[in-house]
Amino acid sequence: MEATAAPNLFADAPRKAGTTGDVVIETRNLSKTYRDFWGRQKVRALKSLDLEVRRGEIFGLLGPNGSGKSTTIKLILGLLFPTTGDALVFGKRASDVAKNELIGYLPEESYLYKFLNAEETLDFYGRLFNMSSAVRKQRVGELIHMMGLDWAKRRQLKEYSKGMTRRIGLAQALINDPDLIVLDEPTTGLDPLGSREMKDLILRLRDQGKTVLMCSHLLADVQDVCDRIAILHQGELKELGRVDSLLKLQNLTQIRAEGLSKECEDELKAVIERHHGKLVSMENPTTTLEELFLNIVADSDKRPGWRSPQNNP
Amino acid sequence: MPIEFEVVPYLQWLPHALLNFGIAVAVLLALGTFFSWLAAAVRLGPSEAFYLIARIMLDALPDIFKTSPRRVWALTRLSVQESIRRRVLVVFLVFVAIMLFAGWYLDTGSDDPARLYISFVLNTTNYLMLLLAFVLSAFSLPTDIKNRTMYTITTKPVRAFEIVLGRYLGFAIVGTALIVGMGAVSYGFVTRGLAHTHQMDGKLAPIPSPFPNQPPLGERGTTTLDKHHRHEFTLNNEGLGRTDMQMGHFHEVTKNGDQIVIGPPQGMLEARVPLAGQLSFLDRAGRSAASGINVGNEWTYRSYIEGDTLQAAIWTFDGVTPEKFPDGLPVEMTIRVFRSYKGDIEQGIGGTLQLINPDPGARVRRSEKIFFTAQEFVVYQRLIPRKVKALDQYNKAIVDAQGNPVEVDIFEDLVSDGRVLLELKCADPAQYFGVAERDVYFHAADNSFAMNFIKGYFDLWLQMMIAIGFGTMFSTFLNGPVAMLASIACLVVGFVAQFIFDLAAGTLEGGGPIESTIRLVTQKNLSVDLELGQTPEAVIRGFDGGLMQAMRAFANLLPNYRWFDTVRYVAYGMDIERSAVMQHATLAAAYCVVVLIVGYFFLKTREIAA
Repeated sequence: MEATAAPNLFADAPRKAGTTGDVVIETRNLSKTYRDFWGRQKVRALKSLDLEVRRGEIFGLLGPNGSGKSTTIKLILGLLFPTTGDALVFGKRASDVAKNELIGYLPEESYLYKFLNAEETLDFYGRLFNMSSAVRKQRVGELIHMMGLDWAKRRQLKEYSKGMTRRIGLAQALINDPDLIVLDEPTTGLDPLGSREMKDLILRLRDQGKTVLMCSHLLADVQDVCDRIAILHQGELKELGRVDSLLKLQNLTQIRAEGLSKECEDELKAVIERHHGKLVSMENPTTTLEELFLNIVADSDKRPGWRSPQNNP
Repeated sequence: MPIEFEVVPYLQWLPHALLNFGIAVAVLLALGTFFSWLAAAVRLGPSEAFYLIARIMLDALPDIFKTSPRRVWALTRLSVQESIRRRVLVVFLVFVAIMLFAGWYLDTGSDDPARLYISFVLNTTNYLMLLLAFVLSAFSLPTDIKNRTMYTITTKPVRAFEIVLGRYLGFAIVGTALIVGMGAVSYGFVTRGLAHTHQMDGKLAPIPSPFPNQPPLGERGTTTLDKHHRHEFTLNNEGLGRTDMQMGHFHEVTKNGDQIVIGPPQGMLEARVPLAGQLSFLDRAGRSAASGINVGNEWTYRSYIEGDTLQAAIWTFDGVTPEKFPDGLPVEMTIRVFRSYKGDIEQGIGGTLQLINPDPGARVRRSEKIFFTAQEFVVYQRLIPRKVKALDQYNKAIVDAQGNPVEVDIFEDLVSDGRVLLELKCADPAQYFGVAERDVYFHAADNSFAMNFIKGYFDLWLQMMIAIGFGTMFSTFLNGPVAMLASIACLVVGFVAQFIFDLAAGTLEGGGPIESTIRLVTQKNLSVDLELGQTPEAVIRGFDGGLMQAMRAFANLLPNYRWFDTVRYVAYGMDIERSAVMQHATLAAAYCVVVLIVGYFFLKTREIAA
C-alpha cells in the first residue's frame, strides 16, 4: 500500500482531535434478537449494550465469532433495527440516513460492483453524497493516487486482487471526508506491509480529528492502534476501557534491575535495597491483549453473566 | 370491428378515474397501515408499534420530497451499466433473429398478411419485453442485498425512495432503448415484408358492352403471381383502373401506351378513423326493442337479428357532414352470421342496408335498399354514394313527373342536423346476423399508419413500465425468483380480471370458490341445485359473496393488461384514439407512482443485513 507516500487528502481538514468529551456514537440498552419466519426467537445476538465512542478516538470492538460485534456495527449503521434500545450516531437515530453524510464505512469484504472500474466506483459513491462533478473528479483522482492505484484505475474491479479491492473499498469509505470511519476487519486480506500501512492510515485519520470505530479479530492490530476497546462475548459487553489501563496487571510488580550480582537475584527485592543496587524501574507490567482477551473469554465461559470489575472507561 | 368498446373522452374519464384512484389509494393506505401496525404490535406491543408506524409515516414525506436527482441518476446509471454487463442486449439480438426467420413459420398465404405481420411483431415485442422487464427488475435489488453491495449504498445518505426510483428508471431506460430498437426493426419488417408489386400476366382483354354495336367498356387483365396471390384488374377507356381485393389490399393500375403499370399495394397499412353510431333494435314485429335475439352464444356482446322479418339493427350516427364525407358514406362492417340451417354453405347470407332520415315528417324517408352478402371475419366495405334513389314516407319510390326514379343527395334529403340512421336487416329467412354497436361504422378519415404503429408500441412500452414497477416493488421485500413469480402472478390476474369481475358480479354460473369446490367434489353440474338444505346453502353463498368481493377488490388493484392491448387496433388498421392513449398513459403513471411508493415503504422497513 502506498498510502504513506501519497499526498494527505485531508491536510486542510480542521483538526478535531482532543475534544474527547464529544460523544459520536452512543448505544443505550441496545439489544438485538434474531427471529425466524414465524417470529420465534432464534438467537439473542446482542444484550443491553451501553457504549459511548468519543470524538477523535480509535475505538475497537473485539470478540470471538458470534459475539455480537458485527451486529453492533450493523445496528449503528442502520443496516439492522434494534429489538430494544437505541443507537445514536452524531445524536441522530441509526435509521436516519442524514447521519450517513458524516460516516465512511468499509465492510469486511469490500462489497463493491465488480463490473465498474476504480474511477467509476468512486465516482458512483461520490454521486451518492451529492458531490458536484468537479469535486468528485478531484476527490476520485486524489483517493486513487493515495491508494496507489493510478495504474489500475481503468480496470474492472473483478480483475483486482484482494488487497487492491480492499484499498478501493477504503477509498470509497473516505470519499466524503467522513468524521466517523467504521472499519470492519480493516486489515483482512492485506499482506503485512499493507496491514502496517492501513494501521498507519488509521492513526493518521485519528490525528486529523476523525473518529474510528473498528472491529477486528487480529488482536495485535487492535492493540497497535486502538485507544479504547470493548470486548464482547455471547452478545454481552465483558470489558470496556482504555487499552493501556486494561492491559495493566494491578496485582503484579515488575522490577527491572541493572548491574546486580548473580547472588542477589534470589532475594531480589530485599537484596536491591540491602545491597544499594541501582533500581532502574519498578512498575506494573503489561500482558498482551491476546492474553487478556483469551482470559476474559475463558472466564466468561466459566461464569456466564459475570463481568470484569475492572471497568474503567 | 376490433374495437369493441367506446372510448370515453379523456376529460370526461379523468374525474371518474381520479375518484377511483383516490378511493383505491385510501383503502390501500388504511389496510397497509393497519397490517403493518398489527405485525409490529405482535413484537413491540401496541403503543410502541403505533409510534414506530407513525415515525415511518412521518419520515416518508420528507424522504420522498428530499429526493436528490444526482443520487437517483447515479443509481439509474448503475442499473443501466449492470443491465448492459448482464448482456441484456442479447434480447434485442434474439428479436432480430426471430424477425429474420419469421418467414419460415409465418403463413405468407394468409388472407390478411398485414394483420398477421403486425400482430406477430407487436405480440413478440410485448412478450419479450414483459419477460425482460420482470427478469431485470425482480432480480436486481435481491442480488444487491445477497451480494451485500447494498451495504455500501444504504450506509451512504441514500434514501430508500432514491434506491427504488433509481433502479426503476435504470431498467426503464434499458427497456425503452430496446423497445425503440424493436419498434424500428418491426416497422421495417412489416413495411418491407408487405411491399410488393405485380406485372401483367398475359394480355388485356376488352370488356364488351352489354348493348349491341357499342364500343367496349374497357379492358381487363390478370397480374402475375407474387407473394402467393394474383389479382384481376379492369381498366376504363382512359387507361385507369384498379385490381380486385386480394389478401386485404388492391393496386392502382394505369396504362401508359402499351405499358401497364401496377402500383404499390393499398389498403394494407392503414389507420382508419371510424365514426361510430349508437345501436338500437327492432323486434320481429318492427317494434323498438332493447336487444336482438340471444342465439345461445355464450358471449352476449353481440345480439342477433332474424332474416326476412321486420327485425332490424339501427345505428344512429351524428356529425355526418358533407365536409367529412364528400364522396358519400363509406360503410365498413364486421358482422357475424348464425345459420339455423346449413343452406348453401358456399353462398353467403344476404342482407340489406338502408339510410333513414331521423325526421319522421321529412318527404324523403329512406334510401333504396342496398343489398350485400355478409362476409365473416373480414371488414366489409361499401360506399353509399351521395346520390341515391329514395323512398318517401309511404315507402314508395320518389319519382319525377315521368315516373322515373329520382336520385336524391343524402346530405340534403336524408341527413337531418348531421344525424342519419342506418338500418341493417338480414334477408335470408331463418338465418341471423349478429351485431354489436361497434361492428358498423362510417370510415371517416385515414390517419398515418406509422403514427398508429408508434401508438401501438407506446402502449407496449406502458405495459413494460408497469411490469418494471411491479418487479421493482416486489424485489424490495422478496428474493429474486419469488419477486419474479409474484410479478407474473399480477400479470396473470390482470389478464383474467374480467373473469374475476364477472364471478364477483354473479354473472357466471357455478357460484364462488366454496360452492364451485363442492360442485367439483360432488360432481354436480352448474345448472342443478346443491341440495344441501336452505341454511347451509345460504351460509356457503354468504362466505362466497365475501370471498368474491375480496377477489374483486384485489383484481381491481392490479393492472388489467388488456386495457393496454391495442395490438388489434394496429393489426386491423383502426386508428388508436388519442383519448385512449392518454387514458392508458395516465393509468400507467398512476400504477407506477403507487408501486414505487409501496416499494419505498417495503425497503425502508426492511433490515438490509438481516
